[in-house]
Amino acid sequence: MRSAGPISGARLALLLGGLALLVLLIAVGSLFIGSARVPPGDVMAVLASRVKGVDQVVVLSLRLPRILVALLAGGALAVAGAGFQALARNPLAEPSVLGVSSGAAFGVVLAQVMGLGGGLVETVGLAACAFAGALVAGVAVYLIAARAGALPVHTLLLAGVIVGIFFSSTITVLISVVDFDRLGGVIHWLLGNLSPIPPRSLAVFAALLAVGGWLVIGAARRLNLLTLGEENAAQLGVDAEALKRRIFAGAALLTSAAVAFAGPIGFVGLIVPQALRLLLGPDNRVVIPAALLGGGAFLLLADTLARNVIAPAELSVGVITAFCGAPFFIYLLRARTGTAQP
Amino acid sequence: MMRFLAAVALAVALLPAPARALTVTDQAGRQITLPAAPARIISLVPSVTEILFAIGAQDRLVGVTDFCDYPAEARRKPHVGGMLAPSLEGMVSLKPELVVVTNAGNRQETFDQLERLRIPVYVVNPVTVSDVLDLMGRLGRLTDRAEAADRAVAVLRERMREVTARVEGRPRPRVLYVLWPDPLMVPGRGSLVSELIALAGGESVTADGGPEYRRYSLEAALARNPEVIVLASHSSERSPPKRDNWERLSRVPAIAAGRLYTINGDLTHRYGPRIVDGLERLARLIHPEAFNRAESSR
Amino acid sequence: MTVPLVDCQQVTFAYGAPAGFTLRDLSFEVRAGETFGVIGPNASGKTTLVRLLSRVLTPAAGRIALDGVDLAALSRAAVARQIAVVPQDVPSGFPHTVEELVLMGRYPRSPRRFFESEEDRAAARRAMESVGVLDLRGALLDRLSGGERQRAMLARALAQEPRLLVLDEPTAHLDLRYQAECAGLLRRLGRDGRLTIVLVSHDLGFAAELSDRLMLVAAGAAVRVGAPEDVLEESILEAAYGCRVIVDKHPISRRPTVHLVYPPA
Repeated sequence: MRSAGPISGARLALLLGGLALLVLLIAVGSLFIGSARVPPGDVMAVLASRVKGVDQVVVLSLRLPRILVALLAGGALAVAGAGFQALARNPLAEPSVLGVSSGAAFGVVLAQVMGLGGGLVETVGLAACAFAGALVAGVAVYLIAARAGALPVHTLLLAGVIVGIFFSSTITVLISVVDFDRLGGVIHWLLGNLSPIPPRSLAVFAALLAVGGWLVIGAARRLNLLTLGEENAAQLGVDAEALKRRIFAGAALLTSAAVAFAGPIGFVGLIVPQALRLLLGPDNRVVIPAALLGGGAFLLLADTLARNVIAPAELSVGVITAFCGAPFFIYLLRARTGTAQP
Repeated sequence: MMRFLAAVALAVALLPAPARALTVTDQAGRQITLPAAPARIISLVPSVTEILFAIGAQDRLVGVTDFCDYPAEARRKPHVGGMLAPSLEGMVSLKPELVVVTNAGNRQETFDQLERLRIPVYVVNPVTVSDVLDLMGRLGRLTDRAEAADRAVAVLRERMREVTARVEGRPRPRVLYVLWPDPLMVPGRGSLVSELIALAGGESVTADGGPEYRRYSLEAALARNPEVIVLASHSSERSPPKRDNWERLSRVPAIAAGRLYTINGDLTHRYGPRIVDGLERLARLIHPEAFNRAESSR
Repeated sequence: MTVPLVDCQQVTFAYGAPAGFTLRDLSFEVRAGETFGVIGPNASGKTTLVRLLSRVLTPAAGRIALDGVDLAALSRAAVARQIAVVPQDVPSGFPHTVEELVLMGRYPRSPRRFFESEEDRAAARRAMESVGVLDLRGALLDRLSGGERQRAMLARALAQEPRLLVLDEPTAHLDLRYQAECAGLLRRLGRDGRLTIVLVSHDLGFAAELSDRLMLVAAGAAVRVGAPEDVLEESILEAAYGCRVIVDKHPISRRPTVHLVYPPA
């Protein structure tokens, strides 16, 4: 893919079109798979809205929303990871290193432990708690790392790790004192949990993804220039500090949205952007939009697998992303080492 | 005028009620209206599964969890997964008319999703022994098995009376009940287990406060000098609980007197008809002399 | 009296107290079309000057004007359209090709665009051609030799279509051959007077060879500005560098050359 010269609008459109088609195929395919046995003919009938009843509930109220959540969450995490890796110029950077996902998880766990839970309003309420937690963590990281208006990248990484560890520890404390009854639910949530969410929540999620995505993707060309080093990029007219703030805000927004609606899911933000860089080359204008689609596809595949491999019991999606993601990534790394770097 | 009104009242009273419509209140205080006694019930609570079998309503049960293992026939019902993450698709495809959940074991999320799908949900939350018997009665009325339920409850009450009669007047030994050894988890005040211990003629040393099931420091527990220690076994474990760690504590009165017992936890933790079995076991362990048998352990 | 292209007036800068001032009251001019060399010992403030000229830093006191306009009044992109810096090197692991690198130089001309335009691509091609790297355009920068890499970076700077080109230690990592090559390139670029070049170097011979005028900076102040013969004088150099030197003339170009007097055993 890394062949005929620099990228142009037309070629990117072609690439993204192809990816979008792949995503569509996976999404439609996932409509046909699930623990309830719905024959393909019936699925088609539901989609053509000719049939009501149980099949319709399964396909449209359970499978479809879950597929959308997976696509949105996967895309959000992958874009956040891609942006952050480009910013930090470090392949290990991923959303959880920001400390933001631990903060969001803490917000949700705190809410669950305090007994917030009794009705549909609570789904949005829980998301709001995740945001609050993410905001606290993000602000803390920023305040710790920023000095005199500048945001040195390695300090940002360190601050993110420390804040993340802090919130993870508080989560552990909460778990150890929580009611036996609630414990199972809390732990289950912490493993990552894609479940169908109501249309209004989906709309909010999509809107947040759009804003966060715009923040990161819009800066893709500048992120390319950042590979020259901050000083050289500044000499080309890039305001490095403003760029760092923008990417930080975008990545934090995307990560908190994903954690709020899908629970903490690891690996996606690390693997997908790296794999795409190895396959598509280092241009962020290609990698980051591709991550939006590729992350969604990856998470959806992982979730479909998690739900059906030991049906009717369900594995948590985080298990699959780790187990399947790691070997695939190792293969990619060994097959193509030397071709590209972040 | 009065006679006219009386006639109207009589006529209204004689109007046929809608055929068998059912409005019940669950144990969370929610009102649920169903067109008829539900013929397709999914139980996400193992104790409720046991109750449904005990009152003869098992034909109405179409779905259970992986943990619903008693009686044996329950295992042959279609499974929908675990208590925490049952498969929504699995449940929906069983076309349930009612799903029974509990506050203590199922997730809020599952409840929300079922509500969103407009599947009627019945919440159970028994805490005391009388809650359990009350629940049996409610489920009986819900499934058109009121008589059978009442009979079952009556039998259970009789057995309980028998036990309390036998242990009445006797000194109450201090009992440490170990729900889980590491970290140490014990029943607190107001928990079902503490109540069973009290009914069985003992006194739970950890019933002084705190939530129903809580973590406890081993030192604090042993500092209360329990005279009887009961270890709970769990159906999920293959081997019975390890006694060695406890037998080493030779200064504790219970160990010195050799009164370290095990009990099948399903009999005391599940809010179903078998709590009376559990009560009888506990009473035999705490007051063996009242039952004319040498101490036994299972 | 024409307005000089670059007018530095009493520029003062310090990297955070209490380190002391890096540049103190520095004043000098660069005339349009000339090649202006900046020399001096390490930590004299040469690199700081590069950063000030490219607006990475702003002076604590004083003013730098480009064609009469205060640099501080311009946006970064506006500065980048006029002033291009050729750094010593790119960070290791730089993943892009030569052409992608050169295209980056087009950013200040169209910062709002997501993709480069046809015009950008044409300008990049011209820049690559002028330094002779056009046939290397698909190569990864990492794989090139030091000299080729530097030419690529020069192409990137030229793609900015600047009026002032600032080179920061251009011969620092180069073999002799590439040093000579670089000198030839710079001569050619500066020849018709449309491009002004500021050359910051510790290599006194190289600076003397290429510069129309030199400025010797020591301890944050300008010690001497003028023609190479005037600046490269033994006593001045000894005072600035703290060691004994002998100044001679290059056998072919007759420009001053500086020889270090090595202490005996």
